[in-house]
Amino acid sequence: MIQGGKNLVYRPPAFSGDGKRLLVCTGNTVSIYGTSTGLLITELVGHTATVTSVIVLPVAAPASKIASYCWTSSLDGTIRYWDFSSSQLIKTLEVNHSIYSMVIPNISGPPADDNGEKGDLYALISADSSKSSAQQRGLSGQILVYNLTKSVLLKNTVSETLKPETLVGSYSGEFVGIVTARRLLIWKPPRKNTDWVNLGKFRVRLHHTKSFTTLAFHPSERIVAGGDITGRILIWRGFGKRRFAKQSLTSRRDVENEEERPGVRGNDDAESCATWHWHSTEVKFLSFSSDGAYLYSGGGEGVLVAWQLDTGKKTFLPRFGSALRYFVDSPDPSLSSISSADNQIHLVNLQAMKVLKSIPGIKLPFAIPEIYEGLWSNGFAVVSSAGLVALRTENYGVQFYSLLHDREITQVVVCNRNYQTNDDVTVVVSLLALSGDGSEMSTVEVRLPEEGIGGLVCLKFWECGSHSGDFALSTVIYDPHGDAGISAVAFHPTRSMVVSSSYGGNFKIWIRSMDIQKKDGSLQKGGWRCQSIGTYKKNPMTAAAFSADGSVLAVAAGFVITLWNPNTNTLVAVMGETPEPIVALSFIPNAEHLLSVSRGSNPQLSVWNLSKLSLSWAYALCAEAMACDMNSSKFAVLVLAPAKVLSGVSSHRDGLILLFEAEDAVPIATWCVKKAKGGGLAFLQEDHFTKTENTTNGKIDGKSSTRLVYLNGDHEYIVFNPFNSGDDTTSKPHDWYHPLENEEPFGYKAMYGKLPDSTDKRENLETVAFELTDKPWETLFSGSSHVLPPLSKLCHVFLASLLEKKKEVTT
Amino acid sequence: MDGPGTFVPISARLHPKKTLKSSPESKFWSSFKTTFLTYNLPITSINFCPEPPHDFVVTSSATLFTFDGITFTPKSTIRKFSDVAYSGTFRPDGKLLAAGGESGNVQIFNPKGDPLRRLVGHVHPVHYVSYPHNDKLHILSGGDDGLVKWWDVASETEITTLSGHRDYIRCGSPSPASEHLWATGSYDDMVRLWDLRNTSPVMELGHGKPVEAAVFLPSGGFLATAGGNVVKIWDVIGGGKLVHTMESHNKTVTSLCVGKALVPGESEQSRLLSVSIDGYLKVFDYMSFKVVHTAKFPASLLSVGMSPSSSCRVAGSSNGRFFIGKRKGHKVEPKKDGPDELMLPIEGVGEENGKWAPTKPWHRGYFQRGQTEKHSEGDLVVNQPKRVRVPQHDKLLRKFHHKEAFVSALNSNNPEVVVPVMEELVARKAMVRSVMNLDLEELELLMKFLDKYVTLPRYAGLLMRFAERVLQLRGEDIEGSEELTYHVLRLKGMVSEEIQIQRSLLEIQGIISPILRMAGR
Repeated sequence: MIQGGKNLVYRPPAFSGDGKRLLVCTGNTVSIYGTSTGLLITELVGHTATVTSVIVLPVAAPASKIASYCWTSSLDGTIRYWDFSSSQLIKTLEVNHSIYSMVIPNISGPPADDNGEKGDLYALISADSSKSSAQQRGLSGQILVYNLTKSVLLKNTVSETLKPETLVGSYSGEFVGIVTARRLLIWKPPRKNTDWVNLGKFRVRLHHTKSFTTLAFHPSERIVAGGDITGRILIWRGFGKRRFAKQSLTSRRDVENEEERPGVRGNDDAESCATWHWHSTEVKFLSFSSDGAYLYSGGGEGVLVAWQLDTGKKTFLPRFGSALRYFVDSPDPSLSSISSADNQIHLVNLQAMKVLKSIPGIKLPFAIPEIYEGLWSNGFAVVSSAGLVALRTENYGVQFYSLLHDREITQVVVCNRNYQTNDDVTVVVSLLALSGDGSEMSTVEVRLPEEGIGGLVCLKFWECGSHSGDFALSTVIYDPHGDAGISAVAFHPTRSMVVSSSYGGNFKIWIRSMDIQKKDGSLQKGGWRCQSIGTYKKNPMTAAAFSADGSVLAVAAGFVITLWNPNTNTLVAVMGETPEPIVALSFIPNAEHLLSVSRGSNPQLSVWNLSKLSLSWAYALCAEAMACDMNSSKFAVLVLAPAKVLSGVSSHRDGLILLFEAEDAVPIATWCVKKAKGGGLAFLQEDHFTKTENTTNGKIDGKSSTRLVYLNGDHEYIVFNPFNSGDDTTSKPHDWYHPLENEEPFGYKAMYGKLPDSTDKRENLETVAFELTDKPWETLFSGSSHVLPPLSKLCHVFLASLLEKKKEVTT
Repeated sequence: MDGPGTFVPISARLHPKKTLKSSPESKFWSSFKTTFLTYNLPITSINFCPEPPHDFVVTSSATLFTFDGITFTPKSTIRKFSDVAYSGTFRPDGKLLAAGGESGNVQIFNPKGDPLRRLVGHVHPVHYVSYPHNDKLHILSGGDDGLVKWWDVASETEITTLSGHRDYIRCGSPSPASEHLWATGSYDDMVRLWDLRNTSPVMELGHGKPVEAAVFLPSGGFLATAGGNVVKIWDVIGGGKLVHTMESHNKTVTSLCVGKALVPGESEQSRLLSVSIDGYLKVFDYMSFKVVHTAKFPASLLSVGMSPSSSCRVAGSSNGRFFIGKRKGHKVEPKKDGPDELMLPIEGVGEENGKWAPTKPWHRGYFQRGQTEKHSEGDLVVNQPKRVRVPQHDKLLRKFHHKEAFVSALNSNNPEVVVPVMEELVARKAMVRSVMNLDLEELELLMKFLDKYVTLPRYAGLLMRFAERVLQLRGEDIEGSEELTYHVLRLKGMVSEEIQIQRSLLEIQGIISPILRMAGR
């Protein structure tokens, strides 16, 4: 069983103390990546729910090379303490609230008490509210204080919020803040242990007319910046001078004049407030540089903006290809990380304004406009032999992702266009098909018209280069079916043949002409051209599929299925009728059956018998995806559970995976899955599994080694053996983790270079196994004591037998 | 500063490339740049001297003109004929000229035009006179009396008379393979091959039409004959078998000649050039039996010639125009006398004893030394990073100045630029807005573009709808302006024309489809 496709950008990552590792919250685990290689080093496994924050202990002294401890919080209600260099769990603290965010203000060691005693380490946590009274008021979030040293949750609630908010701490730990709607709330964590109880009282509120999205504290001065949903950035200077003044100063001064505090709203406790506006969409993150001279901001435009704090001058790092989400500084000033919404973490050098490395995750599903009603496409295709999945990306490309290694292989740019974050998508890769061996790809991109002008459907054929996923454009066909959209594209299983069906009422079969060697030695590349066109009663063609041997082409013409001979383009047969238009077809290999899916108000999953040309059996199920095993007559269907009334919170609907035998309407197996909407299924072929199992387990899996892949609506996936639930113990492939390469030389090595290799030659000698020829002492002393020779004589023989020259054992 | 993703300029749709029409050879043939001279009277014959510099003689009425083979300028004019002259020809070494004439006499001149010999024997006009390939002493002539005569020039005596033709003899050719073998063509539709040691023809080839021209191909194994509108190629060695018939001329083929195609990268190949009354010059590849090049001249052509050095190709017409085609890139080499100016040493860089001497610090060149140095073979060349030129409309699109980008594209008036910009604007949902924002001048620019390209099939799908939308959006502005109304009228004209075309295409389709249906059965 392999799980993967984790979201890397759900929460901000954290750098290790030496800046060589990046700790990323990925679902229930924390994945640690090397910043120089961008590859996975190891994982921290232990949490039972989503990890929401990682806080790395800063390096106390530069000499100590490895200070690799971190705190993590999770929705499972625990805070854990790890040694991440050895990925060991040290401590687990039960909080009993789902933690959404955690900040440890005095992380570098609590300040000493007045008495010289070390204070306790406290964490502020943002958790869901358990109090019924608060929930009744619509406040489902609360901010609590937890004593990490004593593992005690303080009783007093710091604040109650509408929903659990993200806590932001300043560098020095002097301030902690959150954004709630149109306010920034800022607390000042106390120095004394006893004062933590009353933390909630020391609070500054800063107001704005728009909803805030993020905030950031200046590392040294009393400056806080807040970003709002319209893209404005507000910078308050000198906030909380009154509120956080000496507690003894009880008598407050009167409200100062408006003129003296330009831009500050109402009675807010700040000296001045400035507004900067460049972003056209919501500001997603704000961060001050460690010296406090610059403010970095990013948002939906996919542009990192560096503001000079004193002058407001801007420099840009544009074209990230996706909205930006988080920005994290590392202890190394030339290294920062930016999490972008397409599940990618960029490691950036901000001095040079350059991206050093990217850690790509699986591309996330994105909202695409409903182009055609009932388009059967979740935007991905699987190369079953290579264990690759091809997913469309938001910036008009296709990502090839290795399911077995949980790693991106490559990306192919389908539509060469600058990515723009518009509110509504106008260019989209709508369909994507791969040939059986993964050597050819076909994509359909749709440009939506503006008021009926300028729409374009573009069918593209790609050819694979030397290694898998390295695709080059072969043929472009503009508007292949006139104005009509394409409903399905399918490859012939063995030949270079593609069928594209259109809502305009016809389907076209495309074939590839071979490369021609010209007389003068140049190679004329063969392209794809239309071989034949078929129509059936001018019905819109809604789905198409080739049979396993490629001799039959099934095209769904609305409510009926038409069977064609693809070579001669003759109609062979017409089958049945379904209550709703068919949206997907699939032949079941090794069985004379055809699977069809129709959606709509009256959904149906039907299995057709091809020899009888009649319906074999059917269910009234809303199928989301289906997959057929190439080696047997089994197929799996992902069906959506009926939308529950209770779970109205999430749009992700739960579903079922049903495994059927073609002839039998009773499922062989069922699995219950989450986030089934937009999910997908595919069967993977054996090779890789037997190989990995051989290496890891040392035994040969003699049985069927087909695996089923389930990709859920968030593109997290699981690869498992559908036929044998018992032996799902397959560990991760041995090349899953990558050790941190190239340890920086330090000390002597850094100054004088590496010493010549003076390791003992003994090490180089082959270790030779020895074995005693026999055990002479066994017989030496056997016998009754009165017949034994005197011990003084035996001793010599005994020792000689032990010291015998042993002969080499050939193993 | 460049981001993680590089900026992608907008690109036009891909279109199938035009098939490469011009092969390297047709490129060669079309590289002749034609000029013409006018003589008012028909030019019946052109003959090149086989010796360099390949001077040539042109026969027009009662005059022979000789031309320089390098500069293609007239050299001398011979007007020593009492009547029309025919078939002026050079002796192979170029030192004498011979010509027949209406009087029946064959005359020999030196290139300056002094008459040297007169061969009297034919009683009818002599249309064909030729020296053998490697023989300076004899001449073959063919006359309208149907006789072929073999002359000894020095003594002005006739050696042999060959009779066999029953009509006018108009052409002939010596065989390059044998000095005794000649071919003559006559209006009795026959080509006869003669061995001068016999008096009777060796071979008779029935061309089927009065033979206007005959020429042996360089190997000597094949003979090309022209008569009527066909050119026939005969295998002489294989017993006079007809190998190929070329029928690409529409009217009578009047002359043939052999020329060499100098295609870079390939060995030189001989081609057969034919001209016809229809005004076409065709170049025929007799190896693959293909016409490789066709040139049209604005007159009926009577004669053709090509320099053995392939430096020029000439054709003479019936209205007296003489077309000289000079090959481009063929340089007229100036005569070398004295040191070449180009080779003089550059100032400051002294040349002593064939070696480059170091310059002295008091020379200007000292301070400029090395500036013009070219990198040598093994050097690592550090190129200046190439500046990518981003078009104006791309720059504006980058700044989201949509209307300005649209106008900037319109200014180029190139649909390859405008249409992609429009598509990009559609993708940004900014098309309608930018049309609304156009001021009147810019609107006129747009209308001008539309009425020019709206029916271009490649863009019609987009532009037709777009034009309709523009008229809807800016109707009032258009009504108010005369220029814009004019453009709309033109647009209307274009559209109705297009509708007409579509209609007639549909008609044709209607005619063809039953035929196809029947053929399919």
